[in-house]
Amino acid sequence: MPRLIDPRQSRQTRQQRLHRRPRRTVHGAAVVVAAVMATAGCAGGDIGANTPASSGQSFVGHSYESTYYQAGSRPSAPPVSGTTVTGQHLSLSQYRGDTIVVNFWGSWCAPCRAEAPALGQLARQLAARGVRFVGIDIRDEPDSAVAFMQQFNVGYPSISDPSDEIALDFHSTVPPADIPTTLVIDRSGGIADRIFGASTYRQLLSVINQVTGSAP
Amino acid sequence: MTATEDDATTADVSTPGRPVSLGPAGWLRWGWRQLTSMRTALILLFLLAIASVPGSVLPQQGIDPAAVSQYYQSHPALAPFLNRLSLFNVFAAPWFAAIYLLLFASLAGCVLPRTVRLVGSARQQPPRAPANLARLPASASYVTATAPAQALQQARALLTARRFRISEGDGWVSAEKGYLREVGNLLFHVALLALLFSVGLGGIFGYKANRLLVVGQGFANTPTALDVFRPGRLVGPGNLAPFEINLHGFSAKYVSSGPELDQPLSYDASLTYADRPGTPVRRYQLQVNHPLVVDGVSVYLIGHGYAPIFKVTDGTGTVRWDGPVPFIPVDQTTLTSEGVIKVPDAKPGQLGFAGVFLPSAIDAGGRLASAFPAALNPRVSLVGFTGNLGMNSSQAQSVYQLDTTGLRQLPMQAEPLAAGQSMKLPDGLGTVTYLGYQQWVSLAITYDPGQLPALLSGIAALAGLILSFLIRRRRVFVRATAAADGSTEVWLGGLARSDAAGGFETEFSELAELLRAELPAAAERPFVPERGEVVTPAAAAPAEHDGASAQARASADGQQAAVTDTAGGSGHLGTGVSPVSTVSPRASTDGE
Repeated sequence: MPRLIDPRQSRQTRQQRLHRRPRRTVHGAAVVVAAVMATAGCAGGDIGANTPASSGQSFVGHSYESTYYQAGSRPSAPPVSGTTVTGQHLSLSQYRGDTIVVNFWGSWCAPCRAEAPALGQLARQLAARGVRFVGIDIRDEPDSAVAFMQQFNVGYPSISDPSDEIALDFHSTVPPADIPTTLVIDRSGGIADRIFGASTYRQLLSVINQVTGSAP
Repeated sequence: MTATEDDATTADVSTPGRPVSLGPAGWLRWGWRQLTSMRTALILLFLLAIASVPGSVLPQQGIDPAAVSQYYQSHPALAPFLNRLSLFNVFAAPWFAAIYLLLFASLAGCVLPRTVRLVGSARQQPPRAPANLARLPASASYVTATAPAQALQQARALLTARRFRISEGDGWVSAEKGYLREVGNLLFHVALLALLFSVGLGGIFGYKANRLLVVGQGFANTPTALDVFRPGRLVGPGNLAPFEINLHGFSAKYVSSGPELDQPLSYDASLTYADRPGTPVRRYQLQVNHPLVVDGVSVYLIGHGYAPIFKVTDGTGTVRWDGPVPFIPVDQTTLTSEGVIKVPDAKPGQLGFAGVFLPSAIDAGGRLASAFPAALNPRVSLVGFTGNLGMNSSQAQSVYQLDTTGLRQLPMQAEPLAAGQSMKLPDGLGTVTYLGYQQWVSLAITYDPGQLPALLSGIAALAGLILSFLIRRRRVFVRATAAADGSTEVWLGGLARSDAAGGFETEFSELAELLRAELPAAAERPFVPERGEVVTPAAAAPAEHDGASAQARASADGQQAAVTDTAGGSGHLGTGVSPVSTVSPRASTDGE
């Protein structure tokens, strides 16, 4: 049975992620009530009662949110390498000296699909200026990922990351916290900007211009 | 503040007949006193309990968003109204927060000053002995030949040995015991504060997350990998422990006969995990309530289900999907599950499927149903759609739900598919094949740095409570005075400060008995009051006595005590053949 998605619900889920610090204190109150009892911390006995249906796998795009890191305070990008969706080996170090736009995406993620044409277009236009695009395909099915790239005419390669290892590589720098997340790495390998949520052509272009203009 | 107080006082004085305005500070103090009263705390606690009732009666957004949307559909008029009252998100509602914040303030405001008072009470010295010990609930007296100072000294030694806290003065000894009661009380209060604090700690630095993992897949503990992520207030994406988990297998056992049919017996997930990338990979058998603990983070097994494997070929003959699709159980006893497949990049048109997975399909009167949760006869039935999946907008959507507004249902055979069977889609849209199934588990990842402190402070609070209930605070006073006949009158008085049931009487009489045994009774002493005059110690202490007594003290320890006998008034001293001839320094001491 197809369940109809309720717009109010999806907005709520979205807000939940937006304020990404929902209120755990509530739990606190419950613990006060249950005092010592609650500290035992055992999971519910009925395993079946807790399915992700409830959790709804709410992959969500924020609305666009960009954070710019000033030159000098840029975390350096980790050495990332892996196998692309089409089976080639790719390492970010290949692009050393270029500005690199790293986009975390998935073919199942609607906001990623929304921003994909703009990214494809920018990649083609800015290649001459030494701006490279690399995708990180998160939790995807390979056929579906290839279809996505064809569909949106995405010419740049994407590293397949089914078990989030690449995302974890960024753990101690600027971890992607949502899908899509876009990182702009300057020519000396520092992460200069982080964008959560789908970006438009103009938004991304202005960020890239800011980074290429500022790079040492 | 003081000015206001003064104003209030003046007003009080000048207009005695009229009710007095409290003034802002007065109102504040009144409010604070009300808030921190035990009654308010109890009312708030009760309110909190009542306020959480709708949280368990109505579906909650944070726990089960799907159920909330269902509620919207079945109660279109009521739901928006309830939503305005935050009744679908009770535990995040402002009014709920108001209750627990007030409760917190009330508890802290009550406990903190009490703690300070208890510290004072635990450090308190025993008070001065009352003048008349006979008036105390327990008292005893006896006469001894021992000098008062000596008697007090012995009483003191006895009480000290019994771990009484002692204070003394001229002619009296006060002793008190049972401070552990105050310590227990203090422990209880401090532990209560620590409990509140640890709970807050969890809320600030802890996080909770869920992740669905299909057998054969792996994930790393990073926000993009988590289906649901609820961080504490100060938790950033970089604060998550960077472990990796791979799921290699899952088995579930069920009762296959008898009245408990379909009941689960055990769940067992085989994992490998690494603390962080590059560290050694270890194995773990994950079971219900036996969480894997990595880096202080607990990973619980909380759910499982089936993920049928599909291959979708579009109208151009290109494979657009080939992999497992997690289906969500809609019936826990038979694990009948529902799920959707979305193929947004299929040509010529987008494809969507809504499916039902039956682990043990049987024909239940012309209708298919699942008879057993294990996959004994797995079948999938699919309904196909084409049109606009609505996925090319920036509006996020759930991978478990199909928005059919822009979709047209395809006329397809309703025959359920067995593993390996395909179904051709009409209008040259392609083919869908059901290849088999995989299992998935649902993991709850929780990090609560306040958990252990909360447990410890809970235990401490309990221990403190027990101490304060079991131990009673009691005081024993001893006064010794020299009687006219040279003997010493010893008075013992005692009282238990707390009304714990009994026990003190026995302890007191035991103490009295022990003390009496230590001091030789005056009656046993061969002394004869030859001269009848009663000499009070004060009268027996003339100034000229000084030299003699000093001499006596100087002379070897009362051996020559009789020398002092020449001094006026203390004639009885000479008669003492007793071992306690040391009385003489006592006499002079008394005189001074």
